[in-house]
Amino acid sequence: MDPILEVRDLQTHFFTADGVVRAVDGVSFDVYEEEIVGIVGESGAGKSVAAKSIMRLVEDPGSIVGGEVRFKGETIVSFEEDENGERTESEEMLSNREMRERIRGREIAIIFQDPMESLNPVFTVGGQLREFIEINRDVGESRARETAVDMLREVGIPEPSERFGDYPHEFSGGMRQRVLIAMALACEPSLVIADEPTTALDVTVEGQILEQVADLQEKYGTSFIWVTHDMGVVAEICDRVNVMYLGQMAERADVDSLFHDTKHPYTDALLDSLPRPDQTVEELKPIVGVMPEAINPPPGCRFHTRCPDAREVCRRTNPEPRDVSGPDERTHRAACLKHEEVFKVDYSASAPIENETSAGFDVGRTSTDTGAVDADGGVHGSRGGADE
Amino acid sequence: MGIYRYTFNRLLQAIPVMLGVVTITFVMANAIPGDPVQIMLGPSPSQTEIEAIRSRYGLNKPLWVRYINYVAGVLTGDFGRSIFYGEPVTTKIAQRMGPTMLLMTSSYAFAILTAIPLGVISAKRRNKPTDHASRFVSLIGVSTPSFWIGLMFILVFSFHFQVLPSTNLIMPWADPVEVRNAATRVDVLVLSARHLVMPMISLGTLQMAALTRIERSSMLEVLSEDYVQLARAYGVKESAILRKHAFRNAQLPIITILGLQLTGLIGGAVLIETVFQINGMGKLIVNSIFRQDYPLIMGTTIMFGAVFVIGVILTDLSYAYIDPRVTYDEVD
Repeated sequence: MDPILEVRDLQTHFFTADGVVRAVDGVSFDVYEEEIVGIVGESGAGKSVAAKSIMRLVEDPGSIVGGEVRFKGETIVSFEEDENGERTESEEMLSNREMRERIRGREIAIIFQDPMESLNPVFTVGGQLREFIEINRDVGESRARETAVDMLREVGIPEPSERFGDYPHEFSGGMRQRVLIAMALACEPSLVIADEPTTALDVTVEGQILEQVADLQEKYGTSFIWVTHDMGVVAEICDRVNVMYLGQMAERADVDSLFHDTKHPYTDALLDSLPRPDQTVEELKPIVGVMPEAINPPPGCRFHTRCPDAREVCRRTNPEPRDVSGPDERTHRAACLKHEEVFKVDYSASAPIENETSAGFDVGRTSTDTGAVDADGGVHGSRGGADE
Repeated sequence: MGIYRYTFNRLLQAIPVMLGVVTITFVMANAIPGDPVQIMLGPSPSQTEIEAIRSRYGLNKPLWVRYINYVAGVLTGDFGRSIFYGEPVTTKIAQRMGPTMLLMTSSYAFAILTAIPLGVISAKRRNKPTDHASRFVSLIGVSTPSFWIGLMFILVFSFHFQVLPSTNLIMPWADPVEVRNAATRVDVLVLSARHLVMPMISLGTLQMAALTRIERSSMLEVLSEDYVQLARAYGVKESAILRKHAFRNAQLPIITILGLQLTGLIGGAVLIETVFQINGMGKLIVNSIFRQDYPLIMGTTIMFGAVFVIGVILTDLSYAYIDPRVTYDEVD
């Protein structure tokens, strides 16, 4: 079966006064029909930019500068190089008008992170929903209205026909996010991009919404890209996972392999850093150091400055994700040189880099940055301790 | 709470404000140096004449009695008689209000109708030639005094080219029989427009320039909001985004500014009416100050105060109309 969405070596850069920020720097992944694919990573890893790039919604000063995005036979992003190596947008790319009329909303819908800011405060919730349905499903006003009310009921809004005429400020955050989910599904797209849709909500509401999305996904057979920084959410909802670090892919695997047979030290560190109820503050294991800025990424493997397994060779080589699957496993890719037989490097012979104490100092901007992270971790930890 | 109840409440709240306006106006008028009676009677009047006038206008009574009498008069719609004209102040104001209202509303209309499209286009074509041109026009508009624009207009269009009349205003609703050079209603309307165009632009330029800048920045802010991005992500056309999804939200700061700029407009009307020799409230207030016509000074000032208070109430009403988050309940 062919994937409905193929992303190859996508590059989205931001051209700022301080220099070029390589927010997304060579990312590849696929989405198949009826699956939920996670994109996980810390803040600033480039997840949201990658998600927006798929719909070509990146705004100034950012722009997509390389790679390919293909969706159900249509070319959303493609570049060609002339003899001088100058990259230009390819002819076969959909025009902006085609993107608007054929892709956005109709084939790919998006749910933004902040439900409080995503609805227009001066129009009724139902009116906004109805408008998008009218545009993307070619139906008249009354038919769109019926669909909107049905969809609101579907996502768990009580008394949907009464709430139809209410304004966004009359809804709670959780309710607004349900409205946005209804909006996405009501247009009957093949793919929904959910950009941290539950991050702004409290955990009980988050749980309810995740459950509801899982049910609806099954019912409508829609594919999802679920962008999140929360490994817990990934475990709950995703079929396959892409782990992103500093604009690049670190690891890609089925959700079970990723959790039980982790093959990249960054994923390991992410999983380790999850607070658990049986841990005290001192036992928390935050990832050492801060993520370097994408404006000036470290040479070699981007994670080597914080990686517990880093060796000298990691300073020199920036690995592409390669197939490191074990027997009886679907494709499991990791971008780590410690799989030396796959990457054909002499990892074991290379001298280890001592990151434990120096992390953040060589690459992170200043030493105070590191201190700030530790302090932050401490705050989180003490809150966890008080709960017990 | 409905809009009628809200309006009623706001009008109730306006009563103490207006009482304040009346009090301050009364105190200021009485604090002006000079004796109106002496001005009325000319040089070296006899003592009996002075006494007669004083008792006729109640000026022989103590200040607080005169204040109470004045407030009582105002409450019953009696602002006293003009010393210079000998007519009731209200009659005088009724005669003069029309031209001023026509001038002010048309200036506002001119400012809004030019500033909003200019601002929206500037935001849409940010940092492109159109935007720079509109910034240039705004800068000139903000920094040029209205009376200077008026004088230049008169110089160019009235004296040099002789295409537009430089004085007076003709009300569009005036009876064709009473208007010179007009036989039909259409003639009156054309004449009225020809008289109005120069004072309107002179007075409205400053507002237009300021509003253009605010419209631009307000549009830019709204265009970067998540809900505008969402509309884009759902395939809404750029033109519909500008016209519908961004436009209404961007007008909130404009309305606030319109309400506040009313004072500037009133001040400007005084100047422009003098420049163009328009017999409106502005000219009335200036002349009554020269003539120390106290009842008329007070009456016109209070009237301008009332115009401003009503303007602010209208601002708040339209605010609640545009933004559903502003409810009519909040003011109590």
